[in-house]
Amino acid sequence: MWATLRSRYLHLSAKTLPSSSLTNGSWKLGFSGLNQTFSSSTVERRSNELLSLQEVEKVLSDVRADDVAVVPVGNQCDWADFMVIATGRSQWHVKNIAQALIYKVKQKQKGAKRMVLPSVQGQETGKWIVIDSGRVIVHALDEKARAYYNLENLWTAKPAQKEPVEELTKVFVKVRRINNSKKAAQGSD
Amino acid sequence: MWQFPVSDQVPQISGNRQACGNSFDKQQRTFIQMRTVLKVVDNSGAKKVMCIQALKGKKGARLGDTIIASVKEAMPNGKVKKGKVVYGVVVRAAMQRGRCDGSEVKFDDNAVVLVDKQGQPIGTRVFGPVPHELRQKKHVKILTLAEHIA
Repeated sequence: MWATLRSRYLHLSAKTLPSSSLTNGSWKLGFSGLNQTFSSSTVERRSNELLSLQEVEKVLSDVRADDVAVVPVGNQCDWADFMVIATGRSQWHVKNIAQALIYKVKQKQKGAKRMVLPSVQGQETGKWIVIDSGRVIVHALDEKARAYYNLENLWTAKPAQKEPVEELTKVFVKVRRINNSKKAAQGSD
Repeated sequence: MWQFPVSDQVPQISGNRQACGNSFDKQQRTFIQMRTVLKVVDNSGAKKVMCIQALKGKKGARLGDTIIASVKEAMPNGKVKKGKVVYGVVVRAAMQRGRCDGSEVKFDDNAVVLVDKQGQPIGTRVFGPVPHELRQKKHVKILTLAEHIA
């Protein structure tokens, strides 16, 4: 039960719920501690829960990852604030980057009763490992995968792509002609 | 191939569960099972796949689950060819899925993103909206490639 609650806390702490109906459903179990952190939550506090941007940068420079790119995506998506993309020289290096980040999180939480670990995806293959720590998401790729997926292109070009959609919605608005005629209105056919 | 980023999908998020009484005019949507045809929403080359196995669940796959599928229709020069057996992650399902705050999410169609056996997406971009459930199901890679998140 604690494991599912922990994963739910991670999940909910990352996104802001559109409906503020936090009091119904499963949260009525009386976990006032979680509710308290939610009511006073700010964006900065959330990112310091597991990994902050400075710590991630420090770990990546310690591990000597190449080509570290930090993309602030807070204005584009509401489930993450920063995306950090790092390249490893080999598959073993990519796995090592992931291990180093997890070790840093464990060190930070040493002595706590319950350790909340970030979720790691792609650990078996060293091609693309994603470490999801709340508002900061770290992608560790190797060079081939980085060229293939081209993540910076996706995240830096995103706001430009949103423009055409708004123009399209305006195009389909029907504009009625102003009828200033003095003639009596015709009956419907 | 440049796809216009207009999604005609509007995910329906309902606040409370409707009573069974007024569901005679609505279709009862069920799981994604063997022989279900799904749309492919990434640029891996395939267009339609047919599910041959839902990996978890006795009754079938739901939103966020992985399936094994066979490619039924593909673009002529793509990374996958017709007849190939691939793994896929369901990103849109017509069956509603409950969220932990009590609301439910359902889409108008069934859509899938092709992945390989280790969970790496085969395509490089995902089109259309994808739900938040993928984050909890450990599919953050698909979320980062997506253009719109419901």
